[in-house]
Amino acid sequence: MTASNHHQPHLSSDDPRIMLDGEIGQFESVPPYPPRTEREAEFYSLRDGEMFLNMGPQHPSTHGVLRVVLKINGERVVDLDPVLGYLHRGVEKLCENSDYHHIISQVDPLEYVSSLFTEWAPVMAFEKLLDVTVPRRAEYIRVLTGELLRVSSHALYQGWMALDLGGLAPILYSFIERDEIVEMLAAITGQRMLFNYFRIGGVNGDLNHEFMSRLGDWMSRALKEHETNIGLLNENEIFVRRMRGIGRVDRDMALKMAVTGPNIRAAGVPFDVRRAHPYSVYPELDFNIPVRGSNGGGDSLDRYLLRLDEVRESLKIIDQCLHNMPDGPIMARLPRLLRPRPGRAWAAVEAPRGLYGTYAISDGTDQPFRMKIHDPSFVNMQLVGQLMKNNLIADTMAVMASLDPVMGGIDK
Amino acid sequence: MDRLLRKRLETRFDGKLLGPVRQRHDETEIHVGTADLVEIMNALHDEADLKFEILADLAGVDTGDQMQVTYHLWSEMTPDWLRVIADGLPRDNPRIPSLTGLWPGAEWMERETYDMFGIIFEGNRDLRRIYMPPDYASFPLRKDFYLADDAARSPGGGVRHMEQTHVPAQASPNAVRRTVKTR
Repeated sequence: MTASNHHQPHLSSDDPRIMLDGEIGQFESVPPYPPRTEREAEFYSLRDGEMFLNMGPQHPSTHGVLRVVLKINGERVVDLDPVLGYLHRGVEKLCENSDYHHIISQVDPLEYVSSLFTEWAPVMAFEKLLDVTVPRRAEYIRVLTGELLRVSSHALYQGWMALDLGGLAPILYSFIERDEIVEMLAAITGQRMLFNYFRIGGVNGDLNHEFMSRLGDWMSRALKEHETNIGLLNENEIFVRRMRGIGRVDRDMALKMAVTGPNIRAAGVPFDVRRAHPYSVYPELDFNIPVRGSNGGGDSLDRYLLRLDEVRESLKIIDQCLHNMPDGPIMARLPRLLRPRPGRAWAAVEAPRGLYGTYAISDGTDQPFRMKIHDPSFVNMQLVGQLMKNNLIADTMAVMASLDPVMGGIDK
Repeated sequence: MDRLLRKRLETRFDGKLLGPVRQRHDETEIHVGTADLVEIMNALHDEADLKFEILADLAGVDTGDQMQVTYHLWSEMTPDWLRVIADGLPRDNPRIPSLTGLWPGAEWMERETYDMFGIIFEGNRDLRRIYMPPDYASFPLRKDFYLADDAARSPGGGVRHMEQTHVPAQASPNAVRRTVKTR
């Protein structure tokens, strides 16, 4: 080869060879930085026949902005690497720089589907720091609104689940149900999504006539409508076949992966914070903890069906709340500026997606020194990496949707 | 407050706990050293009268003069939450053994704590940043990382600090302006 051959022939921009010559269209490496851990190095090295498929961060069925790097061999997923952080807002840091009352609105957009629960855990932790007793009426209102939101969240889950599997109709019915619930919550909170309703020592507003009439109207047909919505999906053969047998989680795996919520109960572990570590007025209420998959673990269908069981229990709780609702104040008497004594407190509630916890440290000022938020979706999301191996790409969405992640909570 | 749990912990881990077992509301709190952490956690998880099988949370804390890692555990044997605080990690090189051997699900929680505090969990197979981009260089939840508009500890503290945009006079790159008593 002579030296002159090293010179590239002149290419005009319309020359078809321009895309074939040289290194155009080739990456130096994926990802474009040296691997930071052995696991990353192992994941990003391809064996024969394997390739990467980047899903997201704008994939519509990732329940937020999640990116998943799939390593695939043909139609099979060999391994996957979820990449988080596209929604990270640094809420914990913001909370450490906000006073105690302000935090309630800071944490609202975390898990935007059931944001009363994101308020409930911090508020409970601060009440522990301050040694406040919440009036019973306020506790009943919290349980009532919380369970309403649980029903709406599970309804939305049902719709998303179907949407991820290609069914368009159920989400429309889910949103009818959700809309009725957020409308009645809007009557007392003024908001449809980020309620900012719970307060340290109580709740922001009492139940009013509009809420009660909407609730009464809805309760008279809620169970029937729920059964109708169930029939839409549960009797659909394609849906059931695609869900059954994939993403099996057994008791041991669920405990080891620190999973909580419906996902652990669908694996045969009856862990529900409402019963396991009772808070608020749940000890006074009569309801069951549905458990599925106790023989050999639960699959995606079990996780789906378990949430439907939970809706029925929630309706039972709402009914009892309405019958037992005591009279009295809705706020404890507290100063405007809160300065709890130095100390630590941990409080956890059972959110629709699992244990939602807050760990707060007070240093005696009006802002928490440290506030850690534990979001169940964050932990549950880890299961995807375990469950997807050797499954089909198309099943990734079915498994992921059955775990019910909300990226707002995962990314904090 | 579960007095029996306190007794059990005091007799079982006699001499290994840093400081007394503390109880408040429905929480029991023990402080342990990083050297004993894995042994104590294994005992808490495995032994029939403790059985703390559920890892509810893992949180890093920068107290201003040291780092801590806090674990919240749940067991069916006690009505209390158990808080295990691994104490005394130096701020310039915080290292602690990973608990992914016991709970593989702690992997992401440890990654998050690493991302936010720079605490290194020895034995975690995948300890890289989880929220912040790979080329990010600092650890945002450390107490020497403060927001640009944070003048909360300034002489005007207590009024709306978000309105105060100046950098406080005593702020220097590595200054910790807020500390908390650890025990």
